[in-house]
Amino acid sequence: MQDQHDPALLTAATAALEATINQALTLAPGARKELAEMADTVIAIDCSTPAVAIFITITEQGKLEVSGYSEAKNKTLVRGSLEDFLALAIADDPAAMLINSDLEIIGQTAPLLTLQQIITRMDLDWEAPLVNVLGDVAGHQLAQWLRGVFSWSKDASQSLRRQLSEFILEEGRLSPPAAELDVFFDDIQSLGLRVDRLASQLQRLARNVDGRD
Amino acid sequence: MTDETRRAEDRQDTTHFGFTTVNRDDKVHLVRGVFDSVASRYDIMNDLMSVGIHRLWKRFTIELSAVRPGQTVLDIAGGTGDLSARFSTLVGAQGKVILADINASMLAVGRDKLLDAGAFGNLHMVQCDAQTLPFLDNSIDCITIAFGLRNVTDKQLALESMERVLKPGGRLLVLEFSKPTSALLQKVYDTYSFRILPMMGRLVANDEDSYRYLAESIRQHPDQETLLGMMEEASFVDCQYHNMTGGIVAVHRGIKA
Repeated sequence: MQDQHDPALLTAATAALEATINQALTLAPGARKELAEMADTVIAIDCSTPAVAIFITITEQGKLEVSGYSEAKNKTLVRGSLEDFLALAIADDPAAMLINSDLEIIGQTAPLLTLQQIITRMDLDWEAPLVNVLGDVAGHQLAQWLRGVFSWSKDASQSLRRQLSEFILEEGRLSPPAAELDVFFDDIQSLGLRVDRLASQLQRLARNVDGRD
Repeated sequence: MTDETRRAEDRQDTTHFGFTTVNRDDKVHLVRGVFDSVASRYDIMNDLMSVGIHRLWKRFTIELSAVRPGQTVLDIAGGTGDLSARFSTLVGAQGKVILADINASMLAVGRDKLLDAGAFGNLHMVQCDAQTLPFLDNSIDCITIAFGLRNVTDKQLALESMERVLKPGGRLLVLEFSKPTSALLQKVYDTYSFRILPMMGRLVANDEDSYRYLAESIRQHPDQETLLGMMEEASFVDCQYHNMTGGIVAVHRGIKA
């Protein structure tokens, strides 16, 4: 029997993914508690290109088991290409992307949306492992410093995006504002419809002229 | 090893022990000697010899078992209990896992390891021969035998014994070294098996002969298709196998009709 992939390779990937996710979950006890309430939920991710399927099972302990094979019957299947899954992963609104994208969902969608909400709300406690390694004082100090760095990076990133946007629109006039673009696109759509109607009328007139001849 | 060679061997009073031909009755004692010798360092040698990949092979085998809570699992030649530990969690308090091995030394190492890992309650240890399993007919949901079948004297008899104790619909999983699918990999693998493996055995376990036997016994083991035929001959249905790591290892699955 010829498998599409060496099962050992896929197992290595799923084992690594499972270990990483569960390691992160140990830092988020709130998320684990919420996940435990979804125990026995199985989500199947069936990627068409490249052809690979993985199964995520939520355990009673609020951990995730990731495998390349499952015979669970009541599972939610999400099917699509790698591009679709990547778009979902980086989407600002994953729930909307899940519904509006080319991803095919078979089974209940509620577990998927609940899982997405848990992941969005997940608040990792980075201080715990630092305190375990460095001790209470040094660990807390380092965590505070890291929090400051992350907070500054986030603010700086938002500020940079805002200023860049202002420069492109106002100073450089490199792109028209979004509202102007919306009106422009509406006008094009309206013009397209009018052209279609005109073409239909011309065709009708041509048929009438042909009929008289 | 071809089907014809195996059948010829079954008709005779001799069998193979690695590349040596021995009396059928003697093989069990010789194999016991090997595993008595390697038991204490079995796990560390497994990790060294396979660079840890044996854990992936076993993990995939457990996935294929699809074991559910409340089921009874028989882990034959379970040795140091890698599979049993996971099955113990999967079957839960209502289920049962039987760790069986013909070798007392391996069972003792497995028992201590499982107890240290907190796996007990639904775990039972049985010292028995895979050819004559001491269990009721139709009593087991799933049987696994990982890296053990090649050491059994009469493999066909063992497969028939497993079929007898499985419940209808129950499944057998045989994880075993097999035949690499590429000629180049076969050459690399031969060099590794006959040169590096015995050397590692000498350096780590101070037992070159036992590890040379392990390499030889792998070459004597039936290849993928032959083992598939043996399972079908033992009345298993829906038989299939998955090659892993280029066919160095294969996991065969059969269902009792």
